[in-house]
Amino acid sequence: MKRLFKNMTAIQLSLYAVLLLSFIGSMYFINFNYGFYDEPIAKITEATSEETRELSDIYGNEDVLFTQQLRGEIQNGEYRGELIELANEYSLSGANDHEYRVGQDLFVFIDGPAVDGAALSGTIDDVKRDKYVVALTWIFIFVLLVIGKKQGFYSIVSLALNAVILSYALDIYISTENASLLLIASVSILLFTVTSLLLVNGFNEKTYAAIVSTMVGVFVALLLAFFAIWASGGNGLNYEEMQFLSRPYEVVFMAGLFIGSLGAVMDVAITMSASIFTLYEKDPDISIEAMKTSGIEIGKDIMGTMTNILFFVYISGSIPMLLLYLSNGAGWPFSFSINLSLEIARALAGGLGIVLTIPIGIYTSIFFIKRKRAAQ
Amino acid sequence: MNVLILLAIMLCMAMVMIGGKKGAISFLSLFINFLILLFTVYMMSNPDNDPILWAIIACVAISCVNLFFINGVNNTTVAAFLSTVITMIVLLFFILITTDLTMINGFGEEEIDELSMFSLYIGISFVELAAVVIIISTIGAITDIAISITSPMREVHFHNPGISRRELVRAGFAIGRDLLGTSTNTLFFAFFGSYLGLLIWFKDLSYSLGQIVNSKVFTAEMITILCAGIGIALVIPIASWITAYLLTRKSGSVK
Repeated sequence: MKRLFKNMTAIQLSLYAVLLLSFIGSMYFINFNYGFYDEPIAKITEATSEETRELSDIYGNEDVLFTQQLRGEIQNGEYRGELIELANEYSLSGANDHEYRVGQDLFVFIDGPAVDGAALSGTIDDVKRDKYVVALTWIFIFVLLVIGKKQGFYSIVSLALNAVILSYALDIYISTENASLLLIASVSILLFTVTSLLLVNGFNEKTYAAIVSTMVGVFVALLLAFFAIWASGGNGLNYEEMQFLSRPYEVVFMAGLFIGSLGAVMDVAITMSASIFTLYEKDPDISIEAMKTSGIEIGKDIMGTMTNILFFVYISGSIPMLLLYLSNGAGWPFSFSINLSLEIARALAGGLGIVLTIPIGIYTSIFFIKRKRAAQ
Repeated sequence: MNVLILLAIMLCMAMVMIGGKKGAISFLSLFINFLILLFTVYMMSNPDNDPILWAIIACVAISCVNLFFINGVNNTTVAAFLSTVITMIVLLFFILITTDLTMINGFGEEEIDELSMFSLYIGISFVELAAVVIIISTIGAITDIAISITSPMREVHFHNPGISRRELVRAGFAIGRDLLGTSTNTLFFAFFGSYLGLLIWFKDLSYSLGQIVNSKVFTAEMITILCAGIGIALVIPIASWITAYLLTRKSGSVK
């Protein structure tokens, strides 16, 4: 026992050490990685806002426009160390512009070599955001580890693993001609479900039952969504917001729906199977009816909050666009159908998946328990 | 027939068939939350109203619906409500700092081409809106975890009335940790699903890693996912402490 404890701490210690080292290493790298970029990067050393102009448009929107003079030092490439002068225009609202500050790194286009002794001139392309993304990722990792300990660690691993699977699946989709996105999404969904549930719950019958009910639940939800779209002839769905895609966006939407509801369906499936198996373990002679009744009771408690979770994730992303439409004189029905139809359809179809997984989860778990009883 | 109405009818039927009265209440809460959200957007469309303030009002109203309307007013829901509001405000400040630093405000490149006919200078702060979007997308998950921690904690306290505050907090942490994996998964996949179009777009453009990591759209997605995860983790200690405090304080006054 003592030995085990000692071993554990050794493993933990080395884990912490690796974590700390990679934290320091990556933070150092991300702050001094200018050489890895081909595009010139300028560090802002001086920023002065000069003139201001008040704006108003035909819809009565009022805004203020500022002109900003920036001086910076080029950090990489052939002009490294040289000064650059940049002009920037930003508005108070900032829908497509930014107010830059001293110390920030910007990607710039340089007009050409400087004329004897003067500073370079150029235009701003974009902000260098990598260091913030990395820093926030570390905050996320530390918060999850400190609060969640082992479970936090598994959440991080499962997120990373699922992101890799998704990225790989999309690579296959992009590189294969005439690839069916729905088929690829189905295979990835199986992988997502198996890896996530095994990571969270380990190898046991609870997990197997949850995997089966997740798959059935997601596919039933997808079938119903297909049915609803078919029965209504797709009336009411506006794909305008996906127009930037050079791919059949109906399919992309369906695949997104599929993947998006998966997490919630998994959550319901594991909750159902875990609670029904607990009932069975506490009383191996429990009747099927009793398990069904308790299962439905638990299901009732979770269906409201679970559907709400999906609903907010989907809808909230549309708020800025909705506001832009409304401020540009578009009426509510129009703004609503352009910006919210896909999100609401997703939330409703995902909700269907959640609710239907409750009975599916109950019957699957009971099936597994029956098999176990028969084997004994 | 409109797809949305058809889907809504199907969902309502499923919820009532499986959940009975509670199912009907759950469906109604979804509808009420939608109205709250629309009202919030309406208030935000007036540049004189502060988006952050209205986001806080919306979140308070939404957690009232999710907790009090679905589960009734009692010790457990009050504790969950307090934990939700405190977590939300802490998280909101964190998100505001992040969105300000990373400059993910406004629209991404894939959207901006379509918006050429719009006036973008509408006087509403898009830096604040970026934070509003993140906080509202996580509010459902935060209330869910809060109630899932406070109600078993009350059971623990009920079955062991003599339990110390410290023990109770520890129990809360243990309950919360068990929820962490599945709840983060729920959110991650929901985000993956809604970003699928963008991810395909990125892959189609064959951006380099450097371009992806620095782009506004990708950063915004990453920050949303990471902040949501941080929010879910943060509610665990906050809910455990508040519930333990409320439960032990009450038992103290009874004695």
